[in-house]
Amino acid sequence: MIEFKNVSKVYASNGAHALDNVSINIAKGEFVFIVGSSGAGKSTFLKLIMREEQPTSGSIIVNDMFLERLSRRKVPYLRRTMGIVFQDFRLISKMTVYENVAFAMRCVGKKSSTIKKRVPYILDLVGLADKANDHPSELSGGEQQRVSLARALVNNPAMIIADEPTGNIDPEMSYEIIELLSEINKRGTTVLVVTHEHELVKSFGKRVITIDEGRVISDTADDEYIAI
Amino acid sequence: MSSFGYLIKEGFKNIFNNRMMTLAAIGVLISCLVLTGSAIMLTVNVSDIVDSVGDTNVTKVFLNDDLSKLEAVYKGKELKALDNVAEADFIDKEDSIKAYREQLGEEIFESMTGDGNPFPYAYSITMNDLSQYDQTIAAIRAMDGVASISSHREVAQKLTSLSSLITMMSFWIILALAIISLFIISNTIRMTMFSHRFEISIMKSVGATNTFVRVPFVIEGVVIGLVSAVVSTGLLYFLSDAVIKAVKGILDFPYTPFTDVMWYITGGFLGAGILVGVMGSMLSISRFLRREGNEILGW
Repeated sequence: MIEFKNVSKVYASNGAHALDNVSINIAKGEFVFIVGSSGAGKSTFLKLIMREEQPTSGSIIVNDMFLERLSRRKVPYLRRTMGIVFQDFRLISKMTVYENVAFAMRCVGKKSSTIKKRVPYILDLVGLADKANDHPSELSGGEQQRVSLARALVNNPAMIIADEPTGNIDPEMSYEIIELLSEINKRGTTVLVVTHEHELVKSFGKRVITIDEGRVISDTADDEYIAI
Repeated sequence: MSSFGYLIKEGFKNIFNNRMMTLAAIGVLISCLVLTGSAIMLTVNVSDIVDSVGDTNVTKVFLNDDLSKLEAVYKGKELKALDNVAEADFIDKEDSIKAYREQLGEEIFESMTGDGNPFPYAYSITMNDLSQYDQTIAAIRAMDGVASISSHREVAQKLTSLSSLITMMSFWIILALAIISLFIISNTIRMTMFSHRFEISIMKSVGATNTFVRVPFVIEGVVIGLVSAVVSTGLLYFLSDAVIKAVKGILDFPYTPFTDVMWYITGGFLGAGILVGVMGSMLSISRFLRREGNEILGW
């Protein structure tokens, strides 16, 4: 699903070594937390997976695609295999909840009839069926993050990548969001959650990859994780 | 098809939300197209006039003032004796002044008849072979008693050089306006794009292709081009009609009406409008689409 082989990334603009000889393997159907302090290299790790950046050396395979060989024209098709959840939700304020979710389907050319069937199903899955006609400003932080999650899920991706999904919501809601991601994972979707909230990570007992100064310093399974 | 309908709707939404800049872009493009059309109409008509004048095989030979009528009539024989002269029709100076009787009024007309007549005796000559025009004119000029020669050919030559000057000036003005139009359309669309940067970043993150992102902006450019083309055609229709009517009162030549070239000009305008619209939008989109993630949002 995701395979990093000796990946290093040096930004040409400032010479910063964001990742240093990183090798990671994440199999299909796994739930993995990526933890690390600010500037540890987590964002670069995600940017490389999404092919927003290219590695300076090493090779990356995501959903059977060799990213170094992937042409710019094929990048959208890589991104269709993943759903992204952002820390700041990134919802379009002038659109309703329904329209925000439908927008992701329109962008990949889905038919109106398919959209009409799929969006209510997904909104029901994230518990927002009754909020379909609300605008993001009318929702709480947790609800907005659920909309963001619904948008990530609606195109039925093989993998969900959540970048600090609980960064802008209260602890109770944070727990609910990770719980929801766990439910989605149980249905077969690979889930990758980037976070720095150690308590939350510990309480779920999943695989945890810790990155520090661009290196993987620990990769623990289940409840072996000890926050550093 | 569903996507295409959605993208067209988005393109029109962009136009409405960014209507002031769109109107400015349409205004500049209309100016450019109307000027282009006017230059074309002018060139077509001047060329027609030049052809019609150039083909007129009549040259007027004015004789010296001091020649008596008898001497003037005798000159006709000399003219007819020239190799290339087919006909030489005598124009009495009394007939020449009569043509102005109405404009001059009876009193002035009377004073200008007889010895007060300012017109000289003249001949209207027709040549056998226009290719020997210059040699024949030289031979006439060499004759005693010939004051001047007036030929439409000279008018035609002057009009031709005027037409070349107009064409040259039009070319540079049109080129400058085309560049300005391209710049304004590209900036109009860049503004729309900037206001949609948030949506674009989401589109790219969910896997929209660059073509999908691009289409609404290209539609915006094409609509600007099409509207400008249609309005320009209408404006040029009325403008050239009015100008031809006004000029016809002064110079009676066979003019080419706008309707004769309307479809060519409309086709050209539509093509140019669409081309400028598409190029303008592509110029602004291409650089923007190379950005990724937060770069799109300027973070």
